[in-house]
Amino acid sequence: MIKYNKIKLDFDDRAIFNDFSLEIVKGEKVVLLGKSGLGKSSLFGLILGFIQPKSGKVLFDGAPVDEHTIWHVRQNVAFVDQDVSIGDYKVSDWFSFVAGIKSNHSLNFGEERVNELMDFFELSHDLLDKDISALSGGERQRVAIIVSVLLSRRVFLLDEVTSALDKNLKKKTADFFIGREDWTVVSISHDAVWLDNPNVKVFDLEKKAWKQ
Amino acid sequence: METIDISVYSLLLVFLLLAVPVILSWVYRLGLIKPLLTSAGRMTIQLVLIGIFLKYLFLWNNALINFLWLVVMILVAVFSAIRGSSMKPGKILVPVFVSFAFATFAVIFYVNIFVIRLDHIFDARYLIVLGGMLLGNSLRGNIVGIDTFYKSLWKDAKKYLYVLSLGATCHEAARPYMKESIRLALKPTIASMATIGIVALPGMMTGVILGGASPEVAIKYQIMIMISIVVSTIISVLLTILMTSRACFTKYGILRSDIFLNKNNV
Repeated sequence: MIKYNKIKLDFDDRAIFNDFSLEIVKGEKVVLLGKSGLGKSSLFGLILGFIQPKSGKVLFDGAPVDEHTIWHVRQNVAFVDQDVSIGDYKVSDWFSFVAGIKSNHSLNFGEERVNELMDFFELSHDLLDKDISALSGGERQRVAIIVSVLLSRRVFLLDEVTSALDKNLKKKTADFFIGREDWTVVSISHDAVWLDNPNVKVFDLEKKAWKQ
Repeated sequence: METIDISVYSLLLVFLLLAVPVILSWVYRLGLIKPLLTSAGRMTIQLVLIGIFLKYLFLWNNALINFLWLVVMILVAVFSAIRGSSMKPGKILVPVFVSFAFATFAVIFYVNIFVIRLDHIFDARYLIVLGGMLLGNSLRGNIVGIDTFYKSLWKDAKKYLYVLSLGATCHEAARPYMKESIRLALKPTIASMATIGIVALPGMMTGVILGGASPEVAIKYQIMIMISIVVSTIISVLLTILMTSRACFTKYGILRSDIFLNKNNV
């Protein structure tokens, strides 16, 4: 599904990757593990076309990610970033904004679907009328997760999505993503709910190898 | 009603007025004497030169010369404005100039043809004078507009990228920033429209009245000018943003970091 092929990447003259290769197969649940600065988020940035490698290729669903295919890639990947400040949007307005993006017009952002997900992730419905900036970190994380699910994509890139959640919700959220067989999920996380799950493969960025 | 001329001798009395700030600066050690006198000197020389120049411009009243002079005015205005911008001049010079020239000419021609109904639409008195008014007032708004657009995009890079990842086109993701920067560019003009005549008598009106026209004529011109400024500002800001975006975004829809003079200081 996602393939990094001999990637070379620098950041501010510091080499992040040199001849880095990794393949993530369709339906796999993968956790990227490692200290900050090892390029975990850069791996997401490469798929999403936010950064380009100095050399090497990123393949998405068999096709190289380039300036033409990138728009298609972005329409097929759900990305949840670490705490993005959205600005002065009410939660419901934010959902409308995302639903209003042209390529998302066929998606179901209906009230019923939204409420169902709000219930699952234990958010009260009156949160919809609140400003996103007034929410707690954990609430914001769940709103971003709900948006990613509403997008109905099959590939998920999750950057520390369970970090601000309580123990119960961490488990529930991780299981929610791991449990869907058809979803390809790549998660950057240090949480045991991901790392200790037997259905998850862990890639250690320090050793640049799969953890056994 | 003829305007009373100021004789050269009388003008010297005007310069005598400068003694007030000079003495005050000397007494209070304001350090303003040198900059004040240099600026007054520059102003006098520039105005004398432009006075002579305009005299001949009005005398010849040649369409091509008038047109070229307005182009020169736009060029000078664009250069002085982009010096105040936080973006690299090379990236924005051509788009700013083209959109500015387009907006200015479009509005002036509309006004000259349909409103004032000039027989000679390149008439120096109208072309040059109206052009100067439009330039002076909408250029600042234009620069505020593009500066705000790119600066806020840069500061909000994480959110912008996130919106791209949600499937948005470059245009969709940038639209909120475009909206905000155009609003900001037009804000001062809209605000001054609401208070004009009460808080301040605009220079245009003062000039027309001193020139011997009745206040009724002066207000009609003033209304025309204010609306022209709003229109030319919004056209030029929008065009500039659209025209610079090709050079300022990568083919992946990402804002380039090398468009700012100093990206750490945006």
